[in-house]
Amino acid sequence: MHNNGAHDLSKTTKKMNYVTTVGFNTDFGGRGFEHPASLAIRDDGVIFVASRGKRTSKQTIGIQRVSKNHEFFGKIGSYGLGELGQMVWPTCVTLDLDNNLFLADEFLNRITIFDPDGEPVKYWGEKGSAPGQFDQPSGLLVRGETILVVDSKNNRIQEYNLDGGYISQWGEEGVGPGQFSLPWGICEDSHGYIYIADWRNDRIQKFTSKGEFVESFGESGSSEGKFNRPSDVAVDTEGNIIVTDWANQRLQILDREGNFLIEERGKGGLNPWAEEYFEAQQDEKEARASFVPVFDTDVDDPSEISARIEPYFWDPVSVELDSDDNIYITESNRHRFQVFEFCEGN
Amino acid sequence: MTTVDYSKDVSLLAHLLRRASFGPTPDEMDYAVEVGYDNILKEFLNPKEADLVPHDMIRRYHVAQSDLRNQGAAYWIYRMLMTKSPLREKMTLFWHRIFATGWAKLIQHRPILNQIDMFRTHGMGKFDDLLIELSKDPSMIMWLDNQDNHGHNINENYGREILELFSMGVGNYTEDDIKETARAFTGWRVVNPEYMSIKMRNNTARPYGYMSWQFEYDDEDHDKGLKTILGQTGNWNGEDAVRIICEQEGTAKYLARHLYHYFVEDELPVPQWPHEPPRNPEAIDLMVQSYFDNDHSIKAVLGTMFTADFFKDIPARYARIKSPAEMVVGALRLAGPIELPSMDLLAAEDACTNMGQALLNPPSVEGWQGGTEWVSTGAYVQRVNFVSKVLSDPDKIGLRNIIDKIKEKASSSNLTHTQLVDFCLDILGPLDVMDSTKSSLNKYISRYPDLSWSDKSGSDSFDEAVVSLIQLIVSSIEYQNA
Repeated sequence: MHNNGAHDLSKTTKKMNYVTTVGFNTDFGGRGFEHPASLAIRDDGVIFVASRGKRTSKQTIGIQRVSKNHEFFGKIGSYGLGELGQMVWPTCVTLDLDNNLFLADEFLNRITIFDPDGEPVKYWGEKGSAPGQFDQPSGLLVRGETILVVDSKNNRIQEYNLDGGYISQWGEEGVGPGQFSLPWGICEDSHGYIYIADWRNDRIQKFTSKGEFVESFGESGSSEGKFNRPSDVAVDTEGNIIVTDWANQRLQILDREGNFLIEERGKGGLNPWAEEYFEAQQDEKEARASFVPVFDTDVDDPSEISARIEPYFWDPVSVELDSDDNIYITESNRHRFQVFEFCEGN
Repeated sequence: MTTVDYSKDVSLLAHLLRRASFGPTPDEMDYAVEVGYDNILKEFLNPKEADLVPHDMIRRYHVAQSDLRNQGAAYWIYRMLMTKSPLREKMTLFWHRIFATGWAKLIQHRPILNQIDMFRTHGMGKFDDLLIELSKDPSMIMWLDNQDNHGHNINENYGREILELFSMGVGNYTEDDIKETARAFTGWRVVNPEYMSIKMRNNTARPYGYMSWQFEYDDEDHDKGLKTILGQTGNWNGEDAVRIICEQEGTAKYLARHLYHYFVEDELPVPQWPHEPPRNPEAIDLMVQSYFDNDHSIKAVLGTMFTADFFKDIPARYARIKSPAEMVVGALRLAGPIELPSMDLLAAEDACTNMGQALLNPPSVEGWQGGTEWVSTGAYVQRVNFVSKVLSDPDKIGLRNIIDKIKEKASSSNLTHTQLVDFCLDILGPLDVMDSTKSSLNKYISRYPDLSWSDKSGSDSFDEAVVSLIQLIVSSIEYQNA
C-alpha cells in the first residue's frame, strides 16, 4: 500500500474552482434527473446521464442527454424488465471512439449498446459467475476496441470486445493486492494504467493494462488521503488521481504518487432550470429568500450532513473529466452533477 | 400459590421472546433455554452497543433508501430483521405507535427515521429525556406545526398532543394547561422554517431533492412571560413543561397502560381509556410505583413488568394479536437472513401496509390502536398469504435449519404424523395450540403417507410436508397471536 502520510501542502498551488451545477429533480420524466448514477461526455459536448430513478417514478429511468450549458436534448432508453433498450438499475454509461453508448445494468446483469443516434442495438450478459456472466456490473471502461466491465459482486474485471465477445478476466475477492471487495468505478490514465475504486476495501488500486497489480492508494478513514467507500476515480492529464469519496461525501485529489492535494465538499448552486422553476413558484421563491443553505449541523454523519446542506455533495457516485480536464461529479441524491476546474491560483 | 421454576419453563421463555422480541428462531430459542429467563431478559434490557447495520450496502444498492425520501419502512424492517437487541427495536415500534408521525404530511421518510433512531437512543431511558428529545425532534415539530408556534401568536397543536396523546391522556389537564404548555414551547422550530415548511406543503423535491431538518431554538421568538402548567407557575420553557408533566401520576399511569397494552394483554382502544378502567389495575399500580421509585426510568418499568406474575402467568400468553410488523418481521426471521439487495424488503413494506400498518405513515396522530384493529377479514387474508409465501421455500436458510432440527429430533429417518406435528409446533415456538387446531393439523398431514427421508425422493417429499405444515401452522389463531 502506498504511504499517504506526510505531505507538503505548500506544493499545492492549484485550487478547485466551481463552474456550474447541472440538473433538477424530476419524478415523472422531462428535464432533469432522478438518482443519476453516472455520466459520459461526448466530444460535441453532449452529456449522457443515466438516471436510476425509483420504483414510484419509473418515467425518469433512462439516459438523459444534456449539456454543460443547461440544454436538454431528451431521454433515450426506458424502464423495463428485459426488452432491448430497457433498464432497471443502471450503474454506468460510457462511450466508444465511434460514439456508441454502453450501459451497465446491475439488476438485469447486462450491458446494452446504443448507437450514436440513441437507438438500442444489442445487449449481452446474464446473472452468474461464469465467463460472460455478471453479478451486478458497475463500472465500464472502453479501451480502443475492447471494453472492461467491473463485475462487482463477482469481484473481478471482465474484458470483452465491443460486440460483447468475452476475452478474459482478472481479480478475485479479498483484501490483498489485486483482490477486490465490491469494486465500483474504473478509469485509465494517459499511460494506459487502469485505476479501480475498490469500494469496500476503501482504496484505489492501480493496474497495468494487462491487469497486473502496480500499487494502491488510501486506507479506511475520513482524514486526508483516506477513503470511506470510494465510488469512482478519474486521472487528469497531469496524472492527478481524482476520487469520489462516497461515504465521506467529498471529492479528493491525490497527486500521481498518491499524496493528498485537496478536497472539496461541494458548492452546488441554483442553475437556469432551477431559476425557471422558482419563477413559476413564487411562494417558494419568496420563502427561499430567507434560506440559509450552509449552517452548522449538530451531527457527525457525513450523509446526514449532506442531507441537510443543499450545496454539498450527497452520495457522489461518479467522476468524469472532459477534454479540458474539467471535473464532473454526479450526485445521486441531489439529482444533479457539479462541475469544477482544478486550476492554478490561491 | 405454586412456585414455578421459570428459568426452566420453555413455554414461558417462548412467551417472553414473542413479546420482548419478534418471535424466536429455533437457534434463539436454544440460546434462551441455555441461559435462562433472567439472563435473557437482562440482555434484552441492557443492549450493549448499537446494531451493526451495513448502511453502505443498503445505500449503494437500494439507492432510494439512501436519500430516504421514501422506502423508509423497508429500511426499518431490515433493521428489525437484523437487530441483536430486539427489545430496543420493539420499543422503537412501541414509541412510533404512540408518538405517531407520518410521511403523508411530512412527505419524506428521512426525518422520521431520524426520530426512530432517537427512540433507539432514548426509548428505554428516563421518560423526561425522551419527551424533551421528542419536543426537539424536527419531524415532530413539522408534524404538529410547532414551527408556527410563536411567542406573539401561539399554535397550540403540540401543546395539546403532548398532554393528550404523549403523556397523560384526556381528563388529567385543562384547556388552559394546553395553551400554557404551548407557550412554553414557543421558539422551538427547525432551521430555515419558512422554506422547509413550504417545500413540505407544496410536496416538492425540486430543485435538488429534499433537505433533512435540524432543530433550532429561537430565543427571540420564545414567550418569556409567566405560565401556569398543571398548577405550577413560573417562567417556563419547554424543558420545564416536560419536567412538570413527568412528575404527574397521570403520566405514569398512562405510560404503564400503554406498556401493558403493547407487551402483556390487548387493552381497549386508547380513546376509551378515560371512561374505562384498565384490565388489570393492580398491574398498572405496580408499574406506576416502579416509575416513581426509579426516577422515571422506562427500563425499570419494563423490568418490573417482565418479571411480574401478571406477565408470566398463563392467561397472558397468546393474549395479544400480533401487529402486522410483528407478523412480517417474525416470518422473515424464521425464513432466514436476507442478503442485500433484496426485493423481499420492499414486499415486506407493502405487506405491512396491506395488513393495516403502514409504517412511518400512521392513520392519524393517534397512531394505531392495536388489538382487534389488526384482524379485519381482508387483513387476515393478507397476514396468512404473506407468511405462507415467505415460508414456502425449503431451501431458505431458516427453513432448512428447521427441517434439519426436526430430523435431528427423530430417532430414525422417519416420523409418524403426530410426531411431525408435535415437532413443528415445538420448533415454531414452542406453540401451545388448541386440541381442535392440533386435530386439524394431524388430519392435514395424513395426506403424506410416508414421512421418511432415507432417499432423495423421500427427502423432497418430507421437505414438502414440513413446509406445508408450517404454512398451515402460521395461519392458526395461536400463531397469529403473541
